[in-house]
Amino acid sequence: MSLVIKNLTKQYNKEKTGLSDYSITIEKGILGLLGPNGAGKSTLMKIIATISKPTRGTLFLDGQDIVNNPDYIRRIMGYLPQDFGVYPNLNAYEFLEYIAALKGVGGAGLRKRIDMLLEGVNLTADAKRPIGSYSGGMKQRIGIAQALLNDPKVLIFDEPTVGLDPEERVRFRQLISDLADDCIIILSSHIVSDIETIADEVAIMKNGMLLDKAIQPEIIGHVDGKVFETMLENSDLHAFKAKHLIINTTRQKEKTKVRYITKTPESETASTPVSATLEDAYLFLTHNNA
Amino acid sequence: MKYIYSIIKADYLQRTRSYAFLVTLAITVYVAYLFVPLPTANYTTLSMPGYKGAFNSAWVGYVSAMMTTIMLSLYGFFLINTGIKKDIDTEVGLIVATTPITNLGYLLSKMLSNFLVLLTILGITFVVSIAMFFVRGSGYPFIIGDFVVPYILFALPSLFFVSAMAIAAEVFLRDKLILQCIAFIFFFGVVIGGTKGLPDSNTTVLMDVFGVKTLTGSIKNQVNTQYHAHIDDISMGFIFSGHKKPYQTFVWNGVAFSNIFLLSRLLWLVCGLAVVYLSSFFFHRFDFKQAVRSKKIKNKETDGQLKEAVVYKEPATISLKALPKLVPDYGIVPFIKTELLLLIRKGSKWLWLVIAGIWVGMIFAPLDIAYGIMLPVIWFLQVTRWSELATKEKTNQLHYFTYSSYKPLQRMLPAQILAGVIVAVVLALPIIVRCGIAQNNYAVFNIINGAIFIVLLAICLGIVSGGKKLYEILFFMITYALVEKLFIADYLGAVPHNSHIMYIAIILGLNTFLAITSFTVRNHQARHL
Repeated sequence: MSLVIKNLTKQYNKEKTGLSDYSITIEKGILGLLGPNGAGKSTLMKIIATISKPTRGTLFLDGQDIVNNPDYIRRIMGYLPQDFGVYPNLNAYEFLEYIAALKGVGGAGLRKRIDMLLEGVNLTADAKRPIGSYSGGMKQRIGIAQALLNDPKVLIFDEPTVGLDPEERVRFRQLISDLADDCIIILSSHIVSDIETIADEVAIMKNGMLLDKAIQPEIIGHVDGKVFETMLENSDLHAFKAKHLIINTTRQKEKTKVRYITKTPESETASTPVSATLEDAYLFLTHNNA
Repeated sequence: MKYIYSIIKADYLQRTRSYAFLVTLAITVYVAYLFVPLPTANYTTLSMPGYKGAFNSAWVGYVSAMMTTIMLSLYGFFLINTGIKKDIDTEVGLIVATTPITNLGYLLSKMLSNFLVLLTILGITFVVSIAMFFVRGSGYPFIIGDFVVPYILFALPSLFFVSAMAIAAEVFLRDKLILQCIAFIFFFGVVIGGTKGLPDSNTTVLMDVFGVKTLTGSIKNQVNTQYHAHIDDISMGFIFSGHKKPYQTFVWNGVAFSNIFLLSRLLWLVCGLAVVYLSSFFFHRFDFKQAVRSKKIKNKETDGQLKEAVVYKEPATISLKALPKLVPDYGIVPFIKTELLLLIRKGSKWLWLVIAGIWVGMIFAPLDIAYGIMLPVIWFLQVTRWSELATKEKTNQLHYFTYSSYKPLQRMLPAQILAGVIVAVVLALPIIVRCGIAQNNYAVFNIINGAIFIVLLAICLGIVSGGKKLYEILFFMITYALVEKLFIADYLGAVPHNSHIMYIAIILGLNTFLAITSFTVRNHQARHL
């Protein structure tokens, strides 16, 4: 199973471009999408989810053109949008039955499947309450449950961990990993650690363009040997920031521990080389392509 | 004061920057064009049997100002009575609640924003009325004062007071839209009907918020003096004469305002401020929804926690392979079921009690009253349900799911239409059965055709405008006109028509147009998020 995207462009108006000549091939497994706000992640996901038409370009899923034949992917897709809502007067069962109808699935096993999904997202105890009374995290969990309702072969998660507590985030990551053998999973997040933990491949986007797509070690390879840590006087921090790409700072009394990227570390400061991470590479790539 | 200005400005821009408001303005232009018909037209807006006013600037200016005042006061209320609700829905209210702004400051800014919205519409009718005077040029000189004075003295204080009433309605009746409608219509009826029956006196002038009595009194005096007639009653509203009757033309040069009338205008402005001031003591400051919700949650959570304490276990892991297999099911029955559930659960239970009462009443009431009054009313009570039929996905941000579902256009939209029609037909059952027993198949067909029309209108306006207001206002105006037996508003065959075939064809034609428009526009929307 593969999703082939070629020369995709989404032009909202003369000034605003969502995607620009974007090409990517997505195979089974988890693809993590990283990019700053406005990079085009949600636009890409909406186009794949068939709720937005590209201005130009093609999308083929297993050879089927899903721009002109959206129902082909709709039957096998699970989609969790970033800002989705619910019908507040329905309870979890009624809502999921409704979503099942939307997805065109039913049968004797539906109720049991809903039970198991609710149990899986830890909502069984609240399943008969109106969803309008749920907390943000609970709504997010019912969003995850609905995405899995129809045996999806393509799963699209746009910022799925927003609102989840740390424990639920861990459970979600585990769930996604378990699903990856049989599905194409596209996952966008601002939380790099979420992507780092589970994504087989990572695509970094900016300004509607694809900066790089590769397995994590290759992405991290961009900054291998370039990441350092040093201790600075607080007063020197400002000048240091002007010269280097700062990844992180940690205040420690009068001094600040600084993690930064450079080809040539400051000789006058005692900089220590450290192992590069996906976050380092992401910041390096998006900063260098400003 | 500066922050109040900023709130008014933001609120005004938020409300007016919508497609629905643009459509409202377009309708306003058309309605304003109809406000002052030529004496030769087959309808009047200010009716005295046998007499019509000459088309001079006083007649055009005053009559258009008065018609605008009355119509805009009535339907304008429904346009502006969700200013606070919007802040609740968007949760902007929670931010407002944490700021130093006082209740009075907030409500005052909302009221002034209401007023500005109405003023925008008023401004358009003012310009159109002047344009109409020149377009229909009747040879009389143009006097600008004949336009400016009535708009200032009749319309401004009335709309100011209506803006304040909308605030009071939102504060005291919160989100009970239907109850707000009933309360305002009651108030409107009392003011219009009450002052009409009162003798001419200073007290009457003071009580007349819209100034109708003063205007009609002046016109009545002119006719009675000029023709030695004994006109007692002047009716206002769109009144069709059907065929042209002989009439005499009188020349009327406007109202000579008394000091007590001018004082009354000031009084209603002060009353508007007083209403807002009083409301500020009862304003929930956005704690209402939270309080109710947290109370409910608290009770239920307590129950839930008790249960969880006994049966808590580690959440199961999900394996897609282990989940029961499902079969394809592309039918629309589950949608209809959900749509019906949503329709039934929308609104409060007391409203269903009222509806049940009217429904039972339709079994026993004389058929003409049940058909001509009770049926339009019981259907109008569904206004907030039907207006949501095609807008609720967007409002609840569920459109991501519905638009990306399998064949949404062929399954979702028909289900929404069918659910709405089922509700309408069930509510009309007593009339349908009675007409059926009387073998009046024409009426049965018309009621079902009308049910489809009113639901399709909700769907179409919801899809095209993206909001509920346009339909709610239009439905209110249609119902009001229908109860008043205005044949042009008769969508369910309750008023006699000259040609049965033509009438059925018109409604069927409208239904087809609404259906095609709905499907076409939704088809575009579903792929262009």
